[in-house]
Amino acid sequence: MAKEILVIAEQKDGRLKKISFELLCIGKKLADKIGGTVSILLLGYQVDKLAEELDGYGAQKILAVDSEALKNYTNESYAKAIVEVVKIRHPEILLGGATASGKDLFPRVAARLQTGLASDCTSLDISPEGLLLAQRPIFAGKILVDAIIPEARPQIATLRPNVLPAAEKGSQKSEIEKIPVEIKPMDLKAILKETVKTAGERIDLTEASVIVSGGRGMASQENFKILEELASAFGEGTAVGASRSAVDSGFAPHDIQVGQTGKVVNPNLYIACGISGSIQHLAGMRTSKYIVAVNKDPEAPIFQLADCGIVADLFKIVPLLTEEVKKIKAQQ
Amino acid sequence: MEITREIFWNVGSWVRWPVYGLGLLVVIIFILGLVKRFRLWRIGKPDIRNDQILKRIGTVLSYGLFHKRILKEPYPGIMHLFIFWGFLFLLIGTALIFLQEDFTRLIFDKVFIQGSFYLTFSFILDLFGLMAIIGVLLAAFRRYILKPERLDNKLEDAFGLLLIFLVLVTGFTNEGLRIAVTRPEFERYSFVGWEISKIFSSSEQAIASLKTAHVVCWWFHVLLAFTFIGYVAYSKLIHLITSPLNQFFRSLTPQGEIKPIPDIENQETFGVAKLQDFTWKQLLDTDACTRCGRCQDNCPAHLSGKPLSPKKVIQDLRNHLNQSAGNLKKQGGGQEETVPIGGNVILEDELWACTTCAACQEACPVFVQVIDKVVDLRRYLVLMESKFSPEVKLFFKNMETNSNPWTIGFATRADWAKDLNLKNLSENKEVEYLLWVGCSGSFDERNRKVSRSLVSLLQKAGVSFGILGSEEMCCGETARRMGNEYLAQILMQQNIELFSNYGIKKIITLCPHCFNTFKNEYHQFGGNYRVFHYSELLLNLYQEGKLKWKTGIEMKAAYHDSCYLGRHNGIYNAPRMLLNSLPDTKVVEMKRNRAKSFCCGAGGGRMWMEETLGKRINQLRVEQIAATGASVVATACPYCLTMLEDGIKEKGLEKGLSVLDITEILDKAC
Amino acid sequence: MDVIVCLKQVPDTETKIKINPEGTGIVTEGIKYVMNPYDEYAVEEALKIKEKFGGTVTIISMGPARVVDAIRNALAMGADEGVHLNDPAFEGSDSFTTAKILSKVIKDMKYDLILTGKQAMDFDCSQVFGCLAELLELPYVSVVTGLEISADGKTAIAKRETEGGVEEIIQMPLPAVVAAQKGLNEPRYASLPGIMKAKKKVIKEINLTTLGMTASEVGEAGSKMKTKNFQLPPERKAGKKIEGEPPEAVKEIVRMLHDEAKLI
Repeated sequence: MAKEILVIAEQKDGRLKKISFELLCIGKKLADKIGGTVSILLLGYQVDKLAEELDGYGAQKILAVDSEALKNYTNESYAKAIVEVVKIRHPEILLGGATASGKDLFPRVAARLQTGLASDCTSLDISPEGLLLAQRPIFAGKILVDAIIPEARPQIATLRPNVLPAAEKGSQKSEIEKIPVEIKPMDLKAILKETVKTAGERIDLTEASVIVSGGRGMASQENFKILEELASAFGEGTAVGASRSAVDSGFAPHDIQVGQTGKVVNPNLYIACGISGSIQHLAGMRTSKYIVAVNKDPEAPIFQLADCGIVADLFKIVPLLTEEVKKIKAQQ
Repeated sequence: MEITREIFWNVGSWVRWPVYGLGLLVVIIFILGLVKRFRLWRIGKPDIRNDQILKRIGTVLSYGLFHKRILKEPYPGIMHLFIFWGFLFLLIGTALIFLQEDFTRLIFDKVFIQGSFYLTFSFILDLFGLMAIIGVLLAAFRRYILKPERLDNKLEDAFGLLLIFLVLVTGFTNEGLRIAVTRPEFERYSFVGWEISKIFSSSEQAIASLKTAHVVCWWFHVLLAFTFIGYVAYSKLIHLITSPLNQFFRSLTPQGEIKPIPDIENQETFGVAKLQDFTWKQLLDTDACTRCGRCQDNCPAHLSGKPLSPKKVIQDLRNHLNQSAGNLKKQGGGQEETVPIGGNVILEDELWACTTCAACQEACPVFVQVIDKVVDLRRYLVLMESKFSPEVKLFFKNMETNSNPWTIGFATRADWAKDLNLKNLSENKEVEYLLWVGCSGSFDERNRKVSRSLVSLLQKAGVSFGILGSEEMCCGETARRMGNEYLAQILMQQNIELFSNYGIKKIITLCPHCFNTFKNEYHQFGGNYRVFHYSELLLNLYQEGKLKWKTGIEMKAAYHDSCYLGRHNGIYNAPRMLLNSLPDTKVVEMKRNRAKSFCCGAGGGRMWMEETLGKRINQLRVEQIAATGASVVATACPYCLTMLEDGIKEKGLEKGLSVLDITEILDKAC
Repeated sequence: MDVIVCLKQVPDTETKIKINPEGTGIVTEGIKYVMNPYDEYAVEEALKIKEKFGGTVTIISMGPARVVDAIRNALAMGADEGVHLNDPAFEGSDSFTTAKILSKVIKDMKYDLILTGKQAMDFDCSQVFGCLAELLELPYVSVVTGLEISADGKTAIAKRETEGGVEEIIQMPLPAVVAAQKGLNEPRYASLPGIMKAKKKVIKEINLTTLGMTASEVGEAGSKMKTKNFQLPPERKAGKKIEGEPPEAVKEIVRMLHDEAKLI
């Protein structure tokens, strides 16, 4: 029997997540290298329609476990289903997404299968020995390492979302197979009581993935509106911040102050508008993964830290940027 | 006619006995009052303050007897001088009369207050009595008509002033009545009594009633005077005793030195929670305070509308001491207090508002210290209760992990010097000086420019120096003033070890805070070095001709005194002389300068805390700078530089006013 | 309530990490080690539970002698006991093997709750909590920003952070494993008496023999996943400064965000 690479699809509220297609794409590439096949496993309740949606994206088989117990994600129910499928299919490699649920789920799966797990990988390949070669960043990305799982099977890895391309729809048909798995109530100790949408799009600065921040260059409280709009354009998980001098000038409330004496933040993207970048401010945001700075003063210290700096009037740049981001987001 | 007077004229010499009886009673009451205070001070911990006796006596003479600090403010100074010297002479006069009546006359039948001495005696006593009355009137006018903000009015103030006034007035009235009846021409020398005597008719008929009035007034005077003496020990007038005492026992260690918690590893409690945790001298401080308010008139926290007033802190402690008096039995014992002082008697917001700038201590005529108490109370909050704001916690954590206030890796400390061709001591320790850069000069982009300027100047002057590179740690100054003595001692001891490994003897610092700590505090842990703030060293180099200015810098510069350079270490001239040495540079002074300089707001750890209460201290200082019309404010401290630059931006004054460190100005000229 | 906290000592996030010449690991000299920041939240939560319900807090950590500092730090914060898993054989254990060693120690202990951080800021595996729970057959909740223990101490309700500003509220019976996320609480700063007391506490040391495992079961030998070829990521490009007209400049930012940073 050909070696199988099993990828776990991720869906939420009846929609497939993009990571599912990213996994399929890389799964297919890996399968080609080991001369095997790729299959995708869909877990949930009443997922027939979603299974069909997966058709044509390169998976040889679309496996579905359909159970009311899988209606909501819990690590116990999902792990149970996956492990049962693995016991039937004996895949060589098991791939999942390093998403909120993936990061939660796979440690249990790996431990139950007594195998290794390379988590949050940014690149996946096959080693000369035919093993899964998973590259993952460690020390917050300061170093990369290769992880291999030489003996235990399946080799499990989770892939960081948005780093690899997604599979495109092709002509090859996939075979849909339903696998019955019995999940008993006694298998489930932890129960999801409810999901809560935190108020509005804005979340706490320290937890935001995108922060748009304004400094004294904002010139007034009203002008912070354009930062709100830019933040909104990025969607959920965004927040608006301010430098100490903006707060001191009364443009913004103290609870959104970023810096040594305010909040220390670590978003994926930090957009500094009209912030010169005193050390007090830098101390609070310098570990941001990507920093964009807009400032009129080409000598502003913030430019030394910025990945991308624009020497221009922020009032011209920010509204244009908002429009462009909205356009791209609309396409996605 | 013999030129003298009969002491017990009209009242009869028998009054001597009831007066003595009363006098004895009053003295007993006075002593009992003092003993009560003395016992309260004794609950404090020991502190040795009997060294350098001559210096201590000198302090009492110049600052007590001769009002050295009191006179720095003319109105209250002269007012107090008049009352003090007036009373002092009246006391001497009374003592001389006592000496004559009860010793020389009684035993040897000798009267020495007579003749020309009597005339001089009368004149001087009248003069000083009059001065005292003027002083009291000035005081009343100031307190009740001018009402300066710093004075709070209590009943005891009014009572005290009235008492003094009445004692003086009844005294003069007595004299006037006596002269009105006896009318010797030579009593013109008692010029006040002479003028008063004119009020009274000296007709035969009136004499009897004048005599009666004299008896009444005389007794009134005696009783008032005795009331005054007794009252001294139970009111703010106790400062007659406690203020000179406090001057005598003043701290003779450098103002910038904070006492360590000794043997910190083996203590059970840290800092001050209750009165017994203070030293006796700290408790005496509270009794020496006269509520004059000079401290709060100079306190940046108070002037910027924060809840802290040094006067209030001392008074709150004094009130607490009085309220606890019943519970505190004898020394060391007494009931345990249930709530710690910090956070209850003195609120946390008050304690954290202090910039440790010492403006209050510099202004206090009686050497009451405030910083020691603030730090002791902070120590309790920090070390025992871990009570502080999140930003203070971040500061401590950063210090622990990376030995700097920011969340920046310690390994990057020397990155600023990468292209400067500087030798680390680990590469070459055969240098004369260690250049201690400090955290701001190492990490803060703005202050790195200052570091570079200083290096450039030192190199041009051919100074042999090296840096510690990434081995340098924080000096511990700020952690100490924030009350984290444990963290401070760890940093200090690690640095001392490092210094001794490299055999460091001379240190140049960029930052006055580092300077103060090395100079005044490292000896506590066995670290003794010759420490120079760069301003002193550069001035030497200039005077020796090793630094020469190629060009003048045309500008009007105001020099802002750093608290830790100025008040804490007395370096006022070196920075000014350096600036003045530049051709074309005009140095102007702010209204608050030198010992009265106004803090930038960053000391005592305030640099690392949010300033949410009141106005911003740095903005107040920027207003004072702007008032001089200077285009540049010159600083010699990285904290001041940061704070003033922020303040200028916040006030939107960056077009006409910029902040430059002295090194930056000098390097341009060099 | 008896709470166990599993914590790890990791290099401070600001430490410069250097790779050894062989590329098999990092250079450990010159590293400043701290308690894993997420584990601090776990310790704080354990202490809060102790304050509310009574009981004990036990700290377990694995690693060389230096790890004692992290354990003492937690003891100084107020934890009662410390267990140090110290044996050269443990070195190189992957998450699964670490969990196996931990489970071996924990299964004989009395506990109502196990707390740990959601991930260690060194190898960023984010697995031990799940493997440990699985090996102990316990429920777990990860990325927890809120935790409520029922009055009878039998169940807990945890708030778990997911994507897109959605939080899951999960109820579980105790004992269970809870992995802390930033936001769960504000860890306390150890008081000085706490630090002094912690210095005197005896930390129980467990090695391979006392644990009752063999060298082949632990460390690199016992690990399912091997890590090799440590390398530096492609150097982060020096910041780019864009000048020019706003419309063009904005297009360029968007291009960089999209193509290079992959942020939109």
